[in-house]
Amino acid sequence: MKFINHLMFILPLMAILLGLEFYLVFERTTNNYETTLTEDYRILVVSKTPLELEFFQDLNEHIITTIEIERKGIVSNVAEGISKDNANAILNALPYFYNIGLDAYLETSEIEKIKQTLESNHYIKRVETFGSSHSSNYKLFSFIKLILEVFILFMTVVSLFLIMKQMEIWKYAHKERMQIMETFGAPMMLRSGVLFRVAFFDAIIATICVSILFFYIKYSWASQSGIDMIVKNRDVLFQASDIMVLFISAIVIVILAVYSVVFSSKGVED
Amino acid sequence: MSNVIQASGLTLAYDNGTKSIIQDANFSIKKGEFVFITGPSGSGKSTLLKALYGQLKPSTGTLVVGGNNLSNISRPKLQELRTHMGIIFQDYKLVNEWTVAKNVVLPLMIAGYSNEVQDTQARRLLKHVKLAEHADKYPLELSGGEQQRVGVARALSKNPVVILADEPTGNLDDYSSNVIWDLMENACQQLDTTVLVVTHKIPTIFSLPYRHFIIENRGIYEVH
Repeated sequence: MKFINHLMFILPLMAILLGLEFYLVFERTTNNYETTLTEDYRILVVSKTPLELEFFQDLNEHIITTIEIERKGIVSNVAEGISKDNANAILNALPYFYNIGLDAYLETSEIEKIKQTLESNHYIKRVETFGSSHSSNYKLFSFIKLILEVFILFMTVVSLFLIMKQMEIWKYAHKERMQIMETFGAPMMLRSGVLFRVAFFDAIIATICVSILFFYIKYSWASQSGIDMIVKNRDVLFQASDIMVLFISAIVIVILAVYSVVFSSKGVED
Repeated sequence: MSNVIQASGLTLAYDNGTKSIIQDANFSIKKGEFVFITGPSGSGKSTLLKALYGQLKPSTGTLVVGGNNLSNISRPKLQELRTHMGIIFQDYKLVNEWTVAKNVVLPLMIAGYSNEVQDTQARRLLKHVKLAEHADKYPLELSGGEQQRVGVARALSKNPVVILADEPTGNLDDYSSNVIWDLMENACQQLDTTVLVVTHKIPTIFSLPYRHFIIENRGIYEVH
């Protein structure tokens, strides 16, 4: 089979594998980023009385940490130059402040629900979710993710069509030989053996090419990119297990493609 | 002597049985016989041959080849049966990407013989059809007559029970035709192989009183 025929199969297969690997990498990177955002994100709660973590957890299961903000520190900032008694009076009148941490990077509607639950409790005076910054971060993030997923899906569909077209060419290239072999009693696996061999070879080539590209991205481009998120998450850019994922995916695609050729050729003699 | 081919009330038709080509035919061919089936163009000669190697199922009646009823034969059984047949086509049907030697041993390859056996058989058969020096060439490098000799060698490679030939000399000159007829006659006489030849005209070189069927008005009749 001519090299161009291999290339016409390898390139769309590589496009699918690239899409798959980009998806895996993006998922891992964004998961890490989401974890960082989650760790950095806090809801500020102002209460009339001291409250324990269990109290907050009874109100909402997403709450996993509470950090009390030192009231003395707040008073010392505002009570500079005034008497100790007055400072104590301010301290006694001051409510309790808590930074609340959540277990996941929640959507704005979920955050709003937590806020309403907390505010409906009579011990709690006020809740600040810093919703606008959280919301804009999250929406931008979700938007980028959606665009990438749509692009990957589109690229995969187009590539599958290209592979099917290439399969049509293979079908015509091998039809006569397969018919002759069938006339002399060759079983399907023997008739299509050469197609499987060629397709497996191409699957290996495509897997190697994509793996080399991602190794380059991980070990060369990522460190020079200067993009903080990528530099921090370099380890998740490409992992050894990804080679297996790519190879298995490539094999599944070629098996489906070859079977489609074999079964469509079967009808010719019948 | 047992029948290798037996047709009873055989009807062959295309288009889901609506366009019948052969109707209610009855004939039998014994082991080791050399048989001609003739008829004008479009009479159904090639259709009959297709039915004999299982490409076309009988619409009604029975067609038994090598003990297998082709009306209800399973795909694996049909594949097995075909490995015991040698088929020769007018247009040779060689695999052009394969060498002559590889084409010759295709039936052995399908049967799973070792490379060593295949090589030995290829050399022996190509010597038999006087193409020993062309073993490593590709079919398109050979003349029509030489390509058909490769086709005959392929048909003989697994000592088939029956050889089915569809106008085997239709595209050849007289000299090449005579070579092909000699090879087929020898196979029949020396290997006791049944040979069934479909052709529009019996070649004049045949002097022996071989059986002769004619296809006429959708029936198959023996000529005495």
